[in-house]
Amino acid sequence: MTQAAKLSVIRAAGETDVGKVRTNNEDSMIVDPIRGLYVVLDGMGGANAGDVASQTARDAIRQYVLEHRTKHEPKALLESAIQHACQVVWSSAQATRERHGMGTTCVGCLVVDASHAIVAHVGDSRAYLLRGGRLLALTRDHTIVEELVERGLLAAEEAERHPYKNVLSRNLGSKPETKVDVVEVEIKPGDRLMLCSDGLYGYASAEAIQYLLGSGDEPQHVARDLIDLALRGGGGDNVTAIVLEAPAPAPTSTQVVRTSGAVAWWQRRTRFAQVAEERGLLRNPICRGLAREEALDLIAQSLCQAVFHDLEKSTGVNVWTFAQHLAGGWFERDGAWQPLRDLVDVLAISARVVVDEIRAADARLGFLMDIAVSRALVVAELAIGGLLSERLGHVDALLIQVHSAMQETIDASMTVIDEVDTADQFIEQQTVPFMRSTRAPTLDGEVSEALTKALTVARGRTSPRAELVKQILVALEAIANDDTGTNTAAVAAARDIYGVRPVDDTGVMPLFDALDQARVISTAAVHQITASDAVRASVLHALSSALQRLTGASTALLMEAVRPFSERLRDALQTTSELRDDVAAAERKRAGLESKFASTIDQSQPWDKRGTTEW
Amino acid sequence: MATPTSSTVPNVARSYDALRPKILQRLVETRASLDASLARLDEQAARGQLDAVLERIGNFIATGDLGLHRAFLHTFLAMRAAEAQHSGAVLAMLVAIGDTAADVAQEQATPDSAELTIMLTRVTASTARAVNDLIAEELERRSELLGELRTKEQKALDPA
Repeated sequence: MTQAAKLSVIRAAGETDVGKVRTNNEDSMIVDPIRGLYVVLDGMGGANAGDVASQTARDAIRQYVLEHRTKHEPKALLESAIQHACQVVWSSAQATRERHGMGTTCVGCLVVDASHAIVAHVGDSRAYLLRGGRLLALTRDHTIVEELVERGLLAAEEAERHPYKNVLSRNLGSKPETKVDVVEVEIKPGDRLMLCSDGLYGYASAEAIQYLLGSGDEPQHVARDLIDLALRGGGGDNVTAIVLEAPAPAPTSTQVVRTSGAVAWWQRRTRFAQVAEERGLLRNPICRGLAREEALDLIAQSLCQAVFHDLEKSTGVNVWTFAQHLAGGWFERDGAWQPLRDLVDVLAISARVVVDEIRAADARLGFLMDIAVSRALVVAELAIGGLLSERLGHVDALLIQVHSAMQETIDASMTVIDEVDTADQFIEQQTVPFMRSTRAPTLDGEVSEALTKALTVARGRTSPRAELVKQILVALEAIANDDTGTNTAAVAAARDIYGVRPVDDTGVMPLFDALDQARVISTAAVHQITASDAVRASVLHALSSALQRLTGASTALLMEAVRPFSERLRDALQTTSELRDDVAAAERKRAGLESKFASTIDQSQPWDKRGTTEW
Repeated sequence: MATPTSSTVPNVARSYDALRPKILQRLVETRASLDASLARLDEQAARGQLDAVLERIGNFIATGDLGLHRAFLHTFLAMRAAEAQHSGAVLAMLVAIGDTAADVAQEQATPDSAELTIMLTRVTASTARAVNDLIAEELERRSELLGELRTKEQKALDPA
């Protein structure tokens, strides 16, 4: 087989678009299946120099690979080609005044054979690999902020909000040479590689990109769909995407689901709606005001259709969209959570009934459909979860806003507005989200006895030097048996265990390490006692709940201990600010005096004859 | 919703325990695609976090106790929230872990692998459902708190 023939088994296509905001396209690309060369370049620089930079680099890379492909190993060839392009763009920029400062990013892929490729990049154009439905990033952006994160000088959370997050640390053209990052990639059957400019990932979510890449459509359709996705997301930049696909392995379960599975599902769409109706779909408050046919069509049939299309294309985008519309519409009407949960459950049960019927007719297909349909329903939960999280974030922002406004009122009047806020100790307040205690399970005699046995075994297994772990195991028993419905036992135990620890790593870390060790030892001990599975499960539940309450109380104590430091830090900042103002005032005074002094000195006189009494 | 209550649970639980190292290895290798926070961890730290989740999945398969699983998810959400992680991202990470586990199970051509694959897929569905319930409860609680604060604020501004 010739080299060209080996490479031709990789299918590829590229698309580029100017976007909705820009007037010219500064992106360029190479799609050369004969040589296995694929490159995306994103130019930058004023006076139309961006497109010159990316096109100059594109031509230089193509020419270099053409002339040197027999002289270098693939890895060296791609790296040298990009270095050569950097030199060419830089020279061009130096030669023309208007082009000073122009440059371009570059991400390139050189396919060596059907199972190997080289990926190289400079700047923030990216390469991704889709394998087994998962999207993996093959490149890391060369931005100043990303490099600071890599060196540990900036936290990842800060990086996302950093004003200079898009400032490149490397490109082709601003210097005569640059550092090129190169990786070798093993290609497996069915893999998809994608090269893109920031106009794609800047305007489309990673999930949506993943779904489109995994859709199973032809590379040219996927590339076009990706461009459309970025345009729908705003299209604020030029956008370019190249999609490469390694041939899929022969007959897969995915293909069975996409063909026979999708058909079997579609044939049972009436049955699906019938089961949904029997399970009470029409009684759900979300369907209130809809006629029977309308409700079945809008909800049951729409989901059925969405699952069918997703099965057919091995994607999840249709179910995702359905769930987003359903939940989004309900939330917009200020709908409560429970009806939505009930409705989704009815649909899930109906799907399960249909899958069971498919399984009864064809066990192998039923097995594959069970997995595929379950996954489709998880996609629906993911879409709903995304909406819930957004709403949670929105409520949090409002809470902070209202709380700040109230705090300002309190500070201004110096009077106590809310006796609850001051009467409650910090320890009783809920501070860490999700950390409130779940209702403690009530323990019957058998479970309580088993719990005691398990904790005795656990204490016996604890190292004699691990006093703190033993103390926690004792506390867990008291907390688990605390049936007052309050957190009193947990708070008291946390206070005992926390003691007089300093608020630093040496004080706090051993406590949390011991909590974790206690969790591991006590869970293992439950499996060593003689008890029924049901009792053992209840003991595990009680232990988990007790440990959670103890961890919550310890965390609250820690935050209470940290509070004076925060206040002192705030005072110190205030003092520093005042001192800075004093220094500035003194500086101004000194400058005034110097100026006055200088004007009263007769510079023409010898030093000892100069008058100094005037000032 | 489906929870692991099959009569063959002990067999499936054993198969899962046997497969756990392979699943963990796959998760460690692909952690960058699971979650951004896992991508930044070194291998040992990521291994520890992922193994803790796999252990809880194993407990759920073995006991079928949704309450216990929910308690774990509650704590897991709390810990990730304390690290300023978006609850939607936590849900996505848990689903990705479950999907990967099911993929690894499906790749094994053993007599038990089919049942284990289905079990893991259903565990993932139960996990996603429980996480959404927890987020919704938290949302309701904070919305109530917001209402109370607004009432207090209104009273403070207009004592009459």
